[in-house]
Amino acid sequence: MPRIEILSHEDDGRARQIEQALKAKGKAASVRVVDVYTSENPKAQSAEFIGSLTNPVTQKSDQMPDDFDWALEIGYLPGVTDNVGHTASELLELAGAQNDNECYSARLYLIKGKLSKTDIESLAGELSNKLIQRASIKSHDDFTKDGGMDVVVPKVSLDNKGAVADDIDLNVSDEELKIIGTQGIEDADGTRRGPLGMSLLYMHAVKDYFAKEGRPAKDIELETLAQTWSEHCKHTIFASPIDDVKDGIFKHYIRRATADIRKKRGKDDICVSVFSDDSGGIIFDDKYLITHKVETHNSPSALDPFGGSITGIVGVNRDCIAFGMGAKPVINIYGFCLADPRTKPEYYRDKAMTNSILSPETIMNGVVRGVEVGGNCSGIPTPQGFVYFDDRFVGKPLVFVGTVGLIPREINDKPSHEKGTRPGDKILMVGGRVGRDGIHGATFSSVVLDENSPATAVQIGDPITQKKLSDVIIKEIRDQGLYTAMTDNGAGGLSSSVGELAEGSGGLHIELDKVPLKYPGMAPWEIWISESQERMSIAVPPENTDKMIKLFAARGVEATVVGEFTNTGRAHATWHGETVMDMDMDFLHGGLPETPLKTTYTQGGETEPDLPEPKDYGQTLKDMLSRPNICSKEFISTQYDHNVQGSAVLGPLQGPGRVYADASVTKPLLDNPRGVALSQGLAPRYSDIDTGAMASAALDMAVRNTVAAGADFHHIAILDNFCWCSSDEPERLGQLKRAAEAIYDLSVLFETPFISGKDSMFNDFKGYDADGKEVKISVPPTLLVSSIGVIPDVEQSISLAPKAPGDLIYILSETKDELGASEYYDMNGTLGQNVPQIDGARNLELYKLYSQAARQNLIASALSINLGGLGVALAKKAIAGQMGMNIDLSGFDLRADKLLFSESLGRILVTVTPANQKEFEKHFGHSAQQIGQITDSNKLNINNILEVYIKALEEAYKAPLKDY
Amino acid sequence: MSAKALILSGYGLNCEEETLFAFEHVGLTGSIRHINDLIDNPKELDEIQILVVPGGFSYGDDTGSGNAFAQKMRLSLWDSLREFVSRDTLTLGICNGCQILTNLGLAPALDDNYGERIVAVTHNLTARYQCRWVDLKVGASNSPWLNGIDTMHIPVAHGEGRFMMDGQTMDAIKDQIALTYTKPDQSPANNEFPFNPNGSMNDIAGITDQSGRVLALMPHPERGMFTWQRDDYDHLKDKTQREGAQLPEESDGMALFKNAAEYFEVAKRKTA
Repeated sequence: MPRIEILSHEDDGRARQIEQALKAKGKAASVRVVDVYTSENPKAQSAEFIGSLTNPVTQKSDQMPDDFDWALEIGYLPGVTDNVGHTASELLELAGAQNDNECYSARLYLIKGKLSKTDIESLAGELSNKLIQRASIKSHDDFTKDGGMDVVVPKVSLDNKGAVADDIDLNVSDEELKIIGTQGIEDADGTRRGPLGMSLLYMHAVKDYFAKEGRPAKDIELETLAQTWSEHCKHTIFASPIDDVKDGIFKHYIRRATADIRKKRGKDDICVSVFSDDSGGIIFDDKYLITHKVETHNSPSALDPFGGSITGIVGVNRDCIAFGMGAKPVINIYGFCLADPRTKPEYYRDKAMTNSILSPETIMNGVVRGVEVGGNCSGIPTPQGFVYFDDRFVGKPLVFVGTVGLIPREINDKPSHEKGTRPGDKILMVGGRVGRDGIHGATFSSVVLDENSPATAVQIGDPITQKKLSDVIIKEIRDQGLYTAMTDNGAGGLSSSVGELAEGSGGLHIELDKVPLKYPGMAPWEIWISESQERMSIAVPPENTDKMIKLFAARGVEATVVGEFTNTGRAHATWHGETVMDMDMDFLHGGLPETPLKTTYTQGGETEPDLPEPKDYGQTLKDMLSRPNICSKEFISTQYDHNVQGSAVLGPLQGPGRVYADASVTKPLLDNPRGVALSQGLAPRYSDIDTGAMASAALDMAVRNTVAAGADFHHIAILDNFCWCSSDEPERLGQLKRAAEAIYDLSVLFETPFISGKDSMFNDFKGYDADGKEVKISVPPTLLVSSIGVIPDVEQSISLAPKAPGDLIYILSETKDELGASEYYDMNGTLGQNVPQIDGARNLELYKLYSQAARQNLIASALSINLGGLGVALAKKAIAGQMGMNIDLSGFDLRADKLLFSESLGRILVTVTPANQKEFEKHFGHSAQQIGQITDSNKLNINNILEVYIKALEEAYKAPLKDY
Repeated sequence: MSAKALILSGYGLNCEEETLFAFEHVGLTGSIRHINDLIDNPKELDEIQILVVPGGFSYGDDTGSGNAFAQKMRLSLWDSLREFVSRDTLTLGICNGCQILTNLGLAPALDDNYGERIVAVTHNLTARYQCRWVDLKVGASNSPWLNGIDTMHIPVAHGEGRFMMDGQTMDAIKDQIALTYTKPDQSPANNEFPFNPNGSMNDIAGITDQSGRVLALMPHPERGMFTWQRDDYDHLKDKTQREGAQLPEESDGMALFKNAAEYFEVAKRKTA
């Protein structure tokens, strides 16, 4: 069986990085990298194919060094997406292979050095993830004895011939119903198929329904209901009555806020498509809409950080592509909530303590790389994002990914955001093929992570397959008017996407045996709910299907008619002609029983601490700058292509001192001066005192950051992502309700409408600590608010870096004794009580004033004062501009540490050229207080408090994460 | 009739739109062509004067950046490509396009040996993708693409931008070095990160064929063609506002595209 080994040159960068990582652990070694390909096709032995894989300048296919002590090979497990293997398959086809040209990739490391087997095993653990990859290790002797590494062909073969749909007997005890709901359908061999995530209440509703139909349920029907009714798809917690709020949190607080704002704004309404499509859309200008959507991909990222995050980013790209007739992705954003990568906490998923959680460092590296590969390969700039650290994210990290899209307001003289399937439209599945990957993803992400979490729920994105798909739709097919609707195949796969589209026509008929598969032997229920990536479902009038299929084929994209939308009111599926599913659409979408929720609420926090005043404020400021939540994350920004499409105006690193910015400005059209400003806000730790304060802070930060960068305050929309924990506990639900109330009030006051959102309600880890004691670690209740604003002309954008010595420094708005749950209190090991309170009316006035000033170019630089307070903001500005500052804070009557590190909301630190002083002061009046001046010295000087070299501040700010 | 530029797309190339914008901005006619369409109709190469392989991630960089796309072009288009570069035409490969052109052997093509693969553009020494602005100096190449250009401040964005070759090749292509990385004061980067962002031999950022008409460069001129695209735009904008001056619309990268337009203007005048 052909196995091709291609040795890379001695100075390969990939080898160098491993050598350095080993060196950091005190192990000297030299490493050679060998790219390995296997295939069952004899043609793979041809010189032509091998030549096509070998760069003659840097690689050799005909020699292997003998000078090594260990050989470590990492390859994929059967069924895992292997993008390199996939490309090799295409090369094999180019080399003349007709069929069965499947290739598989692996990487072999030849390592020379005094290393033990344990060292190699530990390296293997760092380089691979056993959920998706195999690692084979051989000593030099074994390698020689065996004549090299073993040939591994990770082909999937399912012993599942003649798969049919099974009848499931629901006339069983409540005990058994419960087990089916939590562990899944039982197979003949006694194993369970994986969680349905259905409560007994739901199981009863299903049982009653099939009693009425007068027949047993088929497995596929039960699986379909589980997907459709999952928390992930139906957002049951946000939809259920809660206390006296009969219409539930989503309708009562989120959607109502938007409706109220739209009514109030009347003809100045910026919303076009809200909460009804895969993304939300607002007006950009006369000709274009911009769309935004932010998703989370938390549970998969805990198990396979790279796979989880790449699947997340390419998945949210599809939410953009699927907006209306298809929006072009123009900006990606990211956000990670993680445990500190420099810590090594010990937790296990199982009682026997064999199944360890991934280390915070592994998780961080993986999620960072997932967005890198996904975003970069797709040619979408990623100019901005955030990382927030808290130890409670150790078992379940939060991975946020978002995509902004651009679409003409009208396509073929029709509003581009309107879509709807019609009876008779064909169901066209386009893109990747279907495999077992991601089965039960939707139900799995709706439950707590524990040792039973299914590995099949993990998937790896294939950005190039998706890029081909996206290009055909957005750049070639969209404007031809060939389809009536489309949606993304995400959670729940076809069951969810086709089910959703069928609501338009009023029914569906799908022929599951027509769906193209990655490998034979899949059962109908698996095909229907598989979450294999890079697929869209499109509703196409029958007369256009041939043309569509041809257009896709010309671009190397597979498209297949798999069924038809109907108006029968039924969700109907066949498998080789035989009916395997036939359910009432109304029951499918509306049959889930309502679960009224009850809440309790207790204010958190401690008494305010009585901290001794710091003796050395310079040192305290440096300590603050080195805190993980404040220090630079430049290593992420430089790995993310932030200027592809040529559209970056204000990027992720600003000023000559390259400070990590919390807002970006992008010009999505090269010939149009308008810009899009983006930012996010979050303050998870504030939830320890008050989730209402946490939520208000998140919203205020998101809006203020965008305003500070120059967005028109009247042209800003927001998105909500609730990442909660233990949402079956009344206290957690009480915290949720309080947060929702807070953002209803503030968004309506600011008139910043919500246009899209997503929630993830069970971010808890259940397992065992180092002593084998049972633990549950819940993330702090977290609301991420993302903002998207329009700048009429990017010339009015404002960066955070000061521009010239002599410029005046002002602080806008008030600083109060508000350090509860602040970075400063946390550094001192205390929580406190005075969490920052929102003064919405005051902030509203300020943001309006600021927005006007931005139109007149009155402000030379601006930075929102967020985590770490005024002290940190001053330092960041000094670093960014590489300019000194003379500051005088004697006019404030707060103790210096409180003044410097309070996190009071609503504040912006700005610099103004003296030429604009008069106009600026007149414009802002009492809202602006001058506190100093930019100097050409190399120090930040705050009179009577501190004097520190900018170099020292910069070192403190940049050192902590610079080696990642 | 103005010269025509054809910008390739497909299989993960992704900078075709902004690259087309650059050519149209300088007055050339251009269009984007999917590689499969060009393979179906290679005669189109006879009707154009400028062939551009833009940046992107063809085949996800799998099996080596630019490798698979180059294989596809070699197997289905080689004769037409060979014919195209032998005419008085211009060819440009940016970033992924640069990797593709070197894998195809369209550069450096010593002694007119087009098709010979003697230069590799491989993994950055940091083994990390690098997106950052760099300073460049024009090398000894007589390329019409670089006519009148001395230095450029434009960005790179790549995971595999490290030029590698044997010593003999390095000696032989001395006069075909198009661009090298420098420090901001224009002194050689001397392989010092981040000035040389990838560990490229002799700080090479781009090379040409012997005629200079084929240019393969890793940095992205189309992302640094307007002043508002620059990393120091906020400073330049503020400075001109203070001085009451006008900010120039164009920046360094545009010169390259203007040279292409100029080249055919000049050629046209000669024949007239």
